[in-house]
Amino acid sequence: MKSYILRRILRALFTAFGVSLVAFMILHLAPGDPVKIMLGPYATEENVQALRARYNLDKPLHIQYLTWIKNIFKGELGTSIRYNRPVGELIKERLGPTLILTGSGLLVAVILGVLFGTLAALKKNSILDYLTTFQTMFWLSIPSFWLAIVLLYIFGLKLRWVPIAGMTSFSSTILPVLTIGLREQAWFARPMRAEMLEVLSQNYIKALKAKGVKYEKIVWKHAFKNALIPIITMIALQLPWIIGGAVVIEVVFSWGGMGSLLVGSVLSRDYQVVQTILLFISIAVVAANLLADILYSFIDPRIRTER
Amino acid sequence: METLLEIKDLKVSFDTEEGKVEALDGVNLKVKEGEFHALIGETGCGKTVTGLTILGLLDNNAKIEKGQVLYKGIDLLKLNEKQLQQQIRGKEIAMIFQDPSTSLDPIFTIKEQMFEALDNNSDLTEEKKLNLIIEELKKVKLPDVEELLEKYPHQLSGGMKQRVMIAMMLSCRPSLLIADEPTTALDVSTQAQFLKVLEDLRKETKITAIYITHNLAVVSEICDTVSVMYAGRIVETASLREIFKNPQHPYTYKLLHSVLGVETKIEELQEIPGSVPRLINPPSGCRFHPRCEEADEICKIEVPRMVEISSEHFVACHKRVIE
Repeated sequence: MKSYILRRILRALFTAFGVSLVAFMILHLAPGDPVKIMLGPYATEENVQALRARYNLDKPLHIQYLTWIKNIFKGELGTSIRYNRPVGELIKERLGPTLILTGSGLLVAVILGVLFGTLAALKKNSILDYLTTFQTMFWLSIPSFWLAIVLLYIFGLKLRWVPIAGMTSFSSTILPVLTIGLREQAWFARPMRAEMLEVLSQNYIKALKAKGVKYEKIVWKHAFKNALIPIITMIALQLPWIIGGAVVIEVVFSWGGMGSLLVGSVLSRDYQVVQTILLFISIAVVAANLLADILYSFIDPRIRTER
Repeated sequence: METLLEIKDLKVSFDTEEGKVEALDGVNLKVKEGEFHALIGETGCGKTVTGLTILGLLDNNAKIEKGQVLYKGIDLLKLNEKQLQQQIRGKEIAMIFQDPSTSLDPIFTIKEQMFEALDNNSDLTEEKKLNLIIEELKKVKLPDVEELLEKYPHQLSGGMKQRVMIAMMLSCRPSLLIADEPTTALDVSTQAQFLKVLEDLRKETKITAIYITHNLAVVSEICDTVSVMYAGRIVETASLREIFKNPQHPYTYKLLHSVLGVETKIEELQEIPGSVPRLINPPSGCRFHPRCEEADEICKIEVPRMVEISSEHFVACHKRVIE
């Protein structure tokens, strides 16, 4: 078991390293120059060169990459060109709101998805089942930025139930969390329904009935727990999509998280900020996958006792 | 001996994508108290469906068209799911299944699953339950019972799992055990061990059993009465001795002679021509007639009735009715 976890951690580190390299390359090979964007079209060549030198942008790419990595290990994440402030400081400010948004969104999605999926399976071929199929297809077919705008328009602008932007109060979190939750629950509801039906058709369910166990107990103790195991992996696999989706949603709702910081920084080619955020996100995703794997092996005795 | 369970004219059909399958078509069966009643026949003849119907465990696409399943005088088909769960399953009638590897929930320990059977069927204290569980597991000759209790199903062999299943079912003290091909998935040495366990249990508990199998060797080891099923009907019922010495129905005869024994030579084996008919469009009259060498016109038209040809020997065949 220990060596298994160790192996997984090692592999996760490799993945994070790979992602850092790709993120760096894509960014620096893309057209656009942060210095020129910052100084405007009338900047003198002299000023441009000076600023480049200040941010190490005049060095060859591999040197820039190695310097970046080296500094990360020293705990220095670089300086934002746009804000002229340390990147670490910027991220620290923005991390909380993003975690609140993605965390609550995921929570809402998992609860709703597992609930809908389970009920649809238990009432297979009923109206509830068909409605679940319909609503999941519905949310999955709508782009999240559009859903965000429509929700804003109806509940923010027309009904005025919630503020239209910012993160001033609890009510301002409702719409962004709902935008993530409604869409993502569809990803969980459908496999949960399938898993539940699969488990309910297993032999041991029949055997449980044969020994006189209550239906409710068979469903919630045996079928539900067995069906939930693969869903846990799905949650981790879905995390990148939630984080990616949150970037767009943060922009629409003027949510001061990492997502809106990322978009702003990409537009101004603020290399240091963008590559650090990408690295952060990738580490988060890899960590979530790792956690799911380890969690999975703790929950499922077939894996836990094998190793 | 008194009749413990009587099935009267039971008809069960299944709705499938290909059409309606008449799985059971007028099954009549009497199981007497204390006997081991074998239900034999080829795969797909309705043995398992009969067992599942008794406990109300059929899938949703099954429909009971008519008939009665009288257990101690109560028609089980008239009970609803709740009544079956509270009054019948486990404490009166229990069932073990063909594939022990899938009969236990993979994510709970043996202990947990043994307790569960008792929780629904007895008012004993936790401590007494544990003692009972240990006792039951020892009865089926499982080694290192205390250790076994903490294990998960995948850590047990098939034979051990089947013995756990039978210990679990018997801990509820049912009067009737339905064993659906319990040894089919086990290898031969494990089979023998399992049958030994079953025989010992029988002496000790006086339990009645319906033993579903297609293995005639097993039948001759432990059963008293044999009912032969063919394509959803019972074609012959008699004592073990009668069935083996004096089989009447042509199908029973063929079935007995299609088995390879230690002393039979391959050349002596008789195969039954054709295969079990698909029950979406079953043959008219006697369902065995397309494969029967003795069949004539009446067999194609009329369904033969069960007739007692000698004491406790019933057969449903036009050619065996003494006018």
